[in-house]
This record gives sequence, structure tokens and C-alpha cells, in this order.
Amino acid sequence: MPSDEATDAEAPRRKPAKAAERLRRMLVVVPYLVRHPGVPLAEVSRLFDVAEEDLTEDLDLLLVSGLPPYSPGDLIGVDIEDGCVWIEFADHFSRPLRLSRNEARDLYLRAKALSATPGLEESAALDSALAKLADSLGPEAIGELAERVEAAETGRPAATLDSVRRAIAERERIEIAYHAVSTAETTVRRVDPEEVFHAIGNWYVVAWDHLSGEERLFRADRIREVAATGERFEPRGLAGAGRPLYTPTPEDVTVTLRLGPGARWVAEYYPTQRVEETGDGSLEVELRASRLEWVARLLLRVGTEAQVIGPDLLKDRVKALAGPTRERYQVTSPVIAPPA
Amino acid sequence: MHPVERLVNLVGLLLEAKRPLTFEEIQGTLEGAYDQEDPETAKRMFERDKNVLRDNGIPVEMAPTDAWEVEEGYIIRKEKYYLPEIAFTPEEISALYVAAHTPGEDTWAEEGLRKLLYGADGGVLAGLSGGPLAAGPDVPSDRLAAVADAVTALRRLTFAYRTARGEVSERHLDPYGLVWRGGHWYVVGLDLDHGEIRSFRCSRIESDPIDAGEGSTPPEGFHAADHVQTGPWGPGEPETTAKVAFSPEVAWWAANGISGAKVGETGADGWVEITLPASAPEWLASWVLGFGPDAEALEPPELREEVVARLEEILRAV
Repeated sequence: MPSDEATDAEAPRRKPAKAAERLRRMLVVVPYLVRHPGVPLAEVSRLFDVAEEDLTEDLDLLLVSGLPPYSPGDLIGVDIEDGCVWIEFADHFSRPLRLSRNEARDLYLRAKALSATPGLEESAALDSALAKLADSLGPEAIGELAERVEAAETGRPAATLDSVRRAIAERERIEIAYHAVSTAETTVRRVDPEEVFHAIGNWYVVAWDHLSGEERLFRADRIREVAATGERFEPRGLAGAGRPLYTPTPEDVTVTLRLGPGARWVAEYYPTQRVEETGDGSLEVELRASRLEWVARLLLRVGTEAQVIGPDLLKDRVKALAGPTRERYQVTSPVIAPPA
Repeated sequence: MHPVERLVNLVGLLLEAKRPLTFEEIQGTLEGAYDQEDPETAKRMFERDKNVLRDNGIPVEMAPTDAWEVEEGYIIRKEKYYLPEIAFTPEEISALYVAAHTPGEDTWAEEGLRKLLYGADGGVLAGLSGGPLAAGPDVPSDRLAAVADAVTALRRLTFAYRTARGEVSERHLDPYGLVWRGGHWYVVGLDLDHGEIRSFRCSRIESDPIDAGEGSTPPEGFHAADHVQTGPWGPGEPETTAKVAFSPEVAWWAANGISGAKVGETGADGWVEITLPASAPEWLASWVLGFGPDAEALEPPELREEVVARLEEILRAV
């Protein structure tokens, strides 16, 4: 009996069988159908992200289910007419199943992480939703998790994020003043913003850029100003969250760096083409860059923990950046003696 | 009988049962489900189904069938099965919707959200649109789930961990808390190999964590976030301040980005002096250098010296 005591012993890593997946689906879909008589099948398919054929198959199975003694009046009735669904004798399935521990945990973790995102207007609503969730589902579902998970983002809030999101919702073309790190220059450009998303501490805006005539990804915090143009646009279906932050182009230059222990993080943070251990705690990595400017600035940041193997042009850029930076200190600070 | 039909019927039967039902009663009621010729096969099939239900969060309980406690049977308690009514506001539900959306990955979060969304009365769905707002975490959801479960239950974990310096070794941890910072999940706890509290970035855990038994309890007043810091000023709470001048090109950005930044004087050349929270000069020096000739460290003198020393090293090296 001890092994039988647990009522919520889920195995998170067990791959659910197909039957189990269908069962889970039905236990959510059926309550919806009971509560929404005559709902179009197409709508159910969209809401639950299930193909209509699969739904129909599920409903066929439901027809032969029911409660004892399984006489016709005890069997669940399913009626599909003109693409709309009615269900009867399924009162025992009129409310969905509780969230399982897996569902509650994953939802909690994702919501907690998102709510800490700087500059997100949904944060307050998310926090109150999580509090209600933890309260209503009780210790079996959320457990001690609520007390032991903390989220705090140190990333920068983007002051212009709200206006960009509004423009996305309204499909409004906007004019932005954008400071690009890759060139260290600010440009004014007209863009059609389609999506925003947050990744590794920063907000990004996916937009069609009229200046370059291309799809571009903009860091939201580097948008200094947003101005309305009064024009609207038709979305092109640009991909948002989940896309790679960097899209290689044929014009890219391959940069080879040797990263000492203190600079290994570079290989984690930036997409690399090749990473090799050199055996002495260093890494040799290849990155692709459309511009050498940002790599030069990165190298200034990392210092001599990183070494340029190629191209030589990059070494020149680093020199061209470090020289004038060093000069500022000579000009304004006579306290520091110039190198002998 | 189709397996799904069998499962749906089993849920209905146990949910509507007035008292726990024995296997024999279930067998007798659910015709065509467990009437295989070999009783062992039938019982095994039932056991499998029962486990499928439990694995999917359906609370099948085992309990005595009556007050005499002679026989044990199975039942699903309604109060444990049905989702309670949770009065979410439309703002809350749409915020949860946005949070549960994970690009490129089906997660339990989305299934859970559907229950909340569609189990509720009324048309809370109206007005929900837009794509997901955040990239998924950089750690596989199964691995994060295993760590979160260990944190919840205070279970000791063993896993292979790769340090920032690239060294991989087996680590033993009593996990106390999970912290989300800078786009990464960290697990914080008692590092048994070093005898102190340390944080581990979940994306650097290189093997599925293994449960190594009961763990220890967090000390009184433990605060996991204290052990994970990633600011431009480096690890630790900022202790002092530093003054940095920025070119007009980037000053607005530096001023917006850091909490606690105070904008000071603007020089005749348009350069703006900004006072920032700071701790170790080596961290801040690196951050200032990332701006290239668009920033100049002014104070404290150690910061200025560090920046100059680094620039000279770089100029010598290239």
C-alpha cells in the first residue's frame, strides 16, 4: 500500500503515451464543450491547438463513454451539426481537471520569470495572478515553490517599449531614433514593428526596416525616440520570440578569437561557428560578424583575456578604438603619467 | 475497447463512485475493459491505466471500501479532481496567457493555462492576441523541472556542472532556492563539495540531476537572491559610487539603463557626467571600456587607473 498512497505521483520525464495525451486533451476540451453548447468545431480547434480531424476522432470515442449502467441515457451524447458541437450527459466532465503539479510548476516558473522583466506592463497582473494561483491550487500543486523562487532582473527597462507595443497592436508605422552598437551611430529610420520579445536580459523589436529595405531586429533599449508617422502597415508575418538573435548573411566576416578563462563567457553569450578547447583553459572560437565595430568594442571590454587570431583588420579596429579612448585620459587627467 | 475510451470511462466511474471501488467491482462494471481471460493480464492492464491517470495529474486514491477497512478500493475525490473557480481578472488571464506561450516548445505551462482559460466562465478570451513575449529559458524544461521539484521538496541533487571557466565536475547540492536573473535560472543551495552556499546556473548543468536523498533545510532568514548577482558593477550589492562621463551619443542610454544612476552636469562639449552604483573597479572598468571613446571614467581614481592600465595592455597586445 505505501507505493499506492501518492495520489499525485507524476513522472515528469516519462514520455506520455498517445492515449494519455488524448485523455488529457479530452479532460480539458469536454468541459469547454459542456459550457459552450453549439461552439464551432473550428473555434475549438484553434483554442486548443488541435486539428479538427483529431477533435472529431476524440468526440467519436466520447460517444461510447459514459457512466454505469451504460444504458443509452448514461452515455455521453455528442451532436455535430453544421460544424458546431453539442454535448449532453457529460455533467461529470463539466469542470476541467485541476492543474497537475507539472503544469502548475511550469506555468509558475514562466510567469515568475516574465513578471520580473523590466518595463513589462503586465507585471502587476502577473504577480496577482500567481498569488491567486498559489492560493487556489494549494500546497499540492505549487508547494513550497512560491516561497523558494525569486526573480529579479537587472536588465535595463526600455523607456520606449510601451509606445512600440502600442504601434504593433495598432499596426502603425513609426519613426525611430536608433543607436546601433554595431556602428556606434544613431540613425533615424521608419519601421513597421511586428513583434517584441525579451531574451537574455534585453527587449528586442522585430520590424521591417524601410531604411535598409530589410527585416531587422532592434534592441528596444537602444531606441531613443519613437515618433508616429500616421501611416499604417500590413504585417508581413515576421517571426518574433524564439528566433535567433543574429541572422548570418553572406557578407559576414569570420572572426577567430582565443578566449582565456576570464573571457570564456563570450562563447556562451554570442552565437559561435566553432568552439574548441585549447587544453590550457582557453577556447578558440569563430564568430561571424556583419561589422567589426561591435567585436572591437567587445574586445575592449574583455581586455587581454581575449586575443585576436584573425582577421588582422580586427586588430587595427581595436587599435583605432583603444588609441582615442586612451587619449581622453591623457588630455583630461594629468594625474596619470603617460606610459614611458 | 479503445484505450482512450477505457481511460475516460475509468475516470468517470471513479469520479462518480460513492465509495472506493475494488478492482473486481471496476472489472465487473466496466464491461469489455478488463475482462481478459488471464486475470493477471487484466490486473496488469488496470494497474497500467491507473498509473497513466496518476501520471497525468488525475488523483486516483486508494482507500478502504468501508468503515470495516477489510478491503481497499479506488476512488477519485471530486474536490481533488475539479479545478476550483479562480476569479482572475481579464488582465490577469491575458498576462498568464502571454507568460505560458513558449516559442518552439510545448510545455506543461500551456496545457495548464488552457485549463485556467477555458475552464472559466464567460468569454475571457476576447482580445487575446500577440505572439509570445519572451524567449524560452536556456535550460531544457525537463531539467529545470527536476531542479524546481528538488527545491520544493528539499531533495539533495547530484549533477555534472560546467563552471564559467569550462571545468566539468560532479557536484553535490542541497538546493534551497531558484533565482531568475538576467535571462538565466540559477539554483542556490549548500554546495556539499565546498561546504558553503553557492549558486549554479541551470544552463551549465550538464547531466540530468539525480535525486541523492533527503537534503538539508535552508538556514533561518535565507534569501536565495543574495547569492546571485549580475549587475554591470559585478557580483555583490554596490557599495560605493563611481562617476563616468558619456558622450552625447550614448549618455541617454547609460542614464536610462541602470537603476540608481544619477545624471549630473553636461559639459560644454555635450558630455554628461553620470554617477553610478559601483563595487569592484575591475567589473566597472570593463563595462566602461565597452563604450570605447564614448565614455570616460572620472572617479574614483582606482577606476580611472584600472581603465588606463587595461587600455595600455590592449594597445601593447595588438
